[in-house]
Amino acid sequence: MIQTKGLSMRFADGTAIHYQDLTFEQGRSYALLGASGCGKTTLLNMIAGVLRPSEGEILIDGENVVDWPQRRRDHFRIHEIGYIFQDFKLLEEMTVRDNIDIVRLEGVDTRGADALLERLGIQRLKKRRVRSLSGGEKQRVAIARALIKAPRIVLADEPTGNLNFEVGSAVMDQLLENLNGGTLIAVTHDDRLAPRFDCVLDMNQIARGEVSA
Amino acid sequence: MIRFALKHMATRRARIALTALSIVVSAGVALLAYNVSTQVSEGIIGGASRYDLIIGPAGSSTQLAMNTLFFTDQPLGTIPYTLVDDLMETGMVNEAVPFSMGDSYNDSPVVGTTPALLTDKPLKEGEMFAESMEAVIGCEVASNYGLKVGDSLITSHGLSGGGAEHAASPLTVTGILARTNSAFDRAVFTPCATIWVLHSHEEEDEEHEEEDEGAHAHEEGEICAVLVRCKSVGDYTALSNHYKSDANLLAINPNTVLREVLENVDLSRTIVYALCAVVLVMNLLVISVIAALNLYDQRREIALMRLIGVSMGRINQLYLLQNAIIGLAAVGLSLLSAHLILWVVRGFVAGMGISLNALHVYGLEWAILAVVFAVSTLPTMLMTMSMSRHDPVEGGKRK
Ligand SMILES: Nc1ncnc2c1ncn2[C@@H]1O[C@H](COP(=O)(O)OP(=O)(O)OP(=O)(O)O)[C@@H](O)[C@H]1O
Ligand SMILES: [Mg+2]
Repeated sequence: MIQTKGLSMRFADGTAIHYQDLTFEQGRSYALLGASGCGKTTLLNMIAGVLRPSEGEILIDGENVVDWPQRRRDHFRIHEIGYIFQDFKLLEEMTVRDNIDIVRLEGVDTRGADALLERLGIQRLKKRRVRSLSGGEKQRVAIARALIKAPRIVLADEPTGNLNFEVGSAVMDQLLENLNGGTLIAVTHDDRLAPRFDCVLDMNQIARGEVSA
Repeated sequence: MIRFALKHMATRRARIALTALSIVVSAGVALLAYNVSTQVSEGIIGGASRYDLIIGPAGSSTQLAMNTLFFTDQPLGTIPYTLVDDLMETGMVNEAVPFSMGDSYNDSPVVGTTPALLTDKPLKEGEMFAESMEAVIGCEVASNYGLKVGDSLITSHGLSGGGAEHAASPLTVTGILARTNSAFDRAVFTPCATIWVLHSHEEEDEEHEEEDEGAHAHEEGEICAVLVRCKSVGDYTALSNHYKSDANLLAINPNTVLREVLENVDLSRTIVYALCAVVLVMNLLVISVIAALNLYDQRREIALMRLIGVSMGRINQLYLLQNAIIGLAAVGLSLLSAHLILWVVRGFVAGMGISLNALHVYGLEWAILAVVFAVSTLPTMLMTMSMSRHDPVEGGKRK
């Protein structure tokens, strides 16, 4: 379970975002809807531990992870969090398989990669360089890299943003089918996908922006 | 980790190849320069002879020394064999060894002399020559042409090889010298009389082809030089002065001449070292430029891996490991290629009377390699270190 309390983020340029308190139950899927710039990516970054909130707490199974040192947050992220980034963040010059194997640098077991790629329908691409893949294929590689660790938390930032509705909903279904009990928090612009989730959160209501000089 | 590092390196193979090439060239040049110049001067010092006086026909002192000690160059001409007897009769010499040269076996010079020339050169097999038409050969002559004791070899006229063969009169190998790492390894030794016999035969059989290489000690009773070991310094001075006063003769102290040659070698050594330094600086430049080119990609890759959760320490390890692999591989390749080149040029240098050992690695070569390794991994190391201080991810508790 993930809980946020009194969370707010203030950037150096004066932009600040204040969040209402949120609770994400283990094993359920959440869709974050909201206007561009309302603070969706910022929320995911804070949960993932790549951005430190200016105020507030993030409790994961009761522990305030904001207090953790960077090393512990890194360790937690690579072992327990599958983060699918808005722009994939893949090593373009390396193969699909190598991109999944990056996590082995920190001791994550990737022996299930073949089976996972098979389930995502990209097993035949595993020796291809990422650079040569289509957007939908890259998206699935990013999903495979996030899911290979069987994460407790999956953060997906617009996993279907670059895809048309048909491909997008197929990819989203594959993501939902392969969660294996993990919590999914997915940002999406497309409310047609909303019915697939257990819960939909309107970030326009939850996050309140503020600009101070 | 290593496997991933190698795959990761493969994405930058062109730049890495360029880096490695730059290292191999600079380290290779430095190694080659150092090794060759050291072996050459050692060879020259090693040539310093047990003889203190060499008498030959008038001409260049260096040529006389190089010819009699390293069997290179042409003999200056001929002097009568009677000079040897004259010297012995003075009672002022321990040894007076005749020396003549003018024929060859393939590219090895045939030296006419007495067993005294080989006094401190042990035989590996067989016995010393005794009669004319017998020969003792250097170890490389034996190994290059597969000669064993009892085999015969056909010499040819002239030093360059390819001259008329003395086919009717083969020499018999009676012994093979143990390795000396000197010009002796590449020469054939036989009594002076052999050479006189070969040429008197020929004069009977056929017209002598026109002499293309100046005077040779071919005529009966003629030799190219006498190597002398005097009984005392006083005897040396007396004999030296005596022969120097004869305008037809040249008397030299071989060690004095060698010292002069060595000074020239030392000068060219300095020049070569200066060139090495230039090449090394260029290497550093090339590597720095490549490291700078990598900077942009590397920054993006670091950010990417950090976002996934790979720790900064692990990322540093990855880059440093790659750097070390490239450095070590390049340095190893340098050592290998420098000595391969050494092995290839051995033949040319051997013609100059210096026998290079391609397998000889000097202690300082390791030092050169260590310096090149340090110099060429430094720019990337520094860049990696400086980047690691700017963690693109800031999710942890502030201190
Ligand atoms: N590093 C930063 N410095 C200053 N402002 C920032 C920074 N990162 C984000 N912001 C601002 O914070 C707000 C929220 O950004 P965020 O990326 O979370 O939006 P988002 O909801 O993900 O938008 P989108 O749907 O377009 O991806 C925006 O106004 C953005 O300009
Ligand atoms: Mg966003």
